Amino acid sequence: MNQKSNKLQVKDLVTIGIFSAIYFVINLVVMISGGITPLLWIFMPPILSLVCGVIYMLLVAKVQKTGAVLIMGLITGIIYVATGQFTLVLLVTFGLACIVAEIIRKITGYNNFKGNLLGYAFFSLGMVGSPLPIWLFRDSFSQQMVTQGMPADYVATMNAATPVRVLVVMVVATFLLAFVGGLIGKALLKKHFEKAGMV
Amino acid sequence: MNETNSKGIRLDPRTELLLLIIANVVAFTYSAQWIEFAVIGILALLLICCGCIKSALKWIVFFICLVGIQYYVIPILPKILVIMFSVLTVYIRKLFPCLMIGALILKTTPVRFLIISLRKWHIPQKMIIPLSITLRYFPAIKEEQRHIRDAMKLRKIRGFSRKLECMVVPMLMSATGTADELSAAAITRGIENPIEKTCIVDLRFHIQDYICLIVGCIFIIAANITY
Repeated sequence: MNQKSNKLQVKDLVTIGIFSAIYFVINLVVMISGGITPLLWIFMPPILSLVCGVIYMLLVAKVQKTGAVLIMGLITGIIYVATGQFTLVLLVTFGLACIVAEIIRKITGYNNFKGNLLGYAFFSLGMVGSPLPIWLFRDSFSQQMVTQGMPADYVATMNAATPVRVLVVMVVATFLLAFVGGLIGKALLKKHFEKAGMV
Repeated sequence: MNETNSKGIRLDPRTELLLLIIANVVAFTYSAQWIEFAVIGILALLLICCGCIKSALKWIVFFICLVGIQYYVIPILPKILVIMFSVLTVYIRKLFPCLMIGALILKTTPVRFLIISLRKWHIPQKMIIPLSITLRYFPAIKEEQRHIRDAMKLRKIRGFSRKLECMVVPMLMSATGTADELSAAAITRGIENPIEKTCIVDLRFHIQDYICLIVGCIFIIAANITY
């Protein structure tokens, strides 16, 4: 086994798999503890980008190779779609966000903290795909909710609460909080993992 | 996970995966009420045919409860509760078809069959390995979480962020350890062998697979027409 090669070895693949599982579980916990209020659903991506920084930072520290982030994002997206939570929109946004993150990692070299931070900010944007259908298919979405028995005034409130600028705010918040999350992740890495010699 | 499922018909894992995708599409396109009922009914039938009678009954009872709540309880509730409950019932019911198929896959298909079928679709090995690890690691996380919570009770840990740190860090610690062990185990079993893997199980599409897929397609069309 050539340790220096840039190809993903079995060990890297296993690491990615396990980290994806943890990432997904944390996603799920945030979603459930956020309750079923759609308002929190809209602000889930920023919250997640704040919380999940440490996972991403540890992953990119352990697997400094092309494709790690992409595979993790795709797996998370596939599981989301498979459990029927979201539409295929999520898979597309995850794919795009991860490709951008991969490119940034490639350009900055894999061991560069600033590059990883920027990559994480883009990776976090992948989660934006989860509430995105509200804006993309607003008409059919709200019509469907009404026919399925949601109170019409509730749908109206939701539509009123989600103009396009909320989308912008959400995206920007996700992006900025990702930097905070990444810094927290870096701090935790230094506090716990580097001391233990795991990175 | 039962390896030999003697009772009931057995579906190809690929069919089940395709059904999952179909259910996803249907769940996000239908708006007529009867399609939802029909989907749930057919899926329950499928579960029964595959030998999961108990879980089929469980899903049906749960579904009827949700519908009952929506039509008989919600109209008499105060307004704030109405919103909470209707979001709950509507969203969970939307997840139902996928959850039912997910239950079917978990009950009837071992992970290795799933891997074989993904391999037959020529999904790259680099995707299959992490995906199967992810699927198998979920129960481990649950166990891990229990241990961590027990350990946290011994110490006085206050504050949300401190708690979060004390949850996540040990989990990641043990995850890195597990990754080393698992990859060592996989390598000793020859996962890096570049030769194409063979398999003792013969997975093939049978008549029941085609029937399921055709029914699924009919539902997609129906969901799109009845707007």
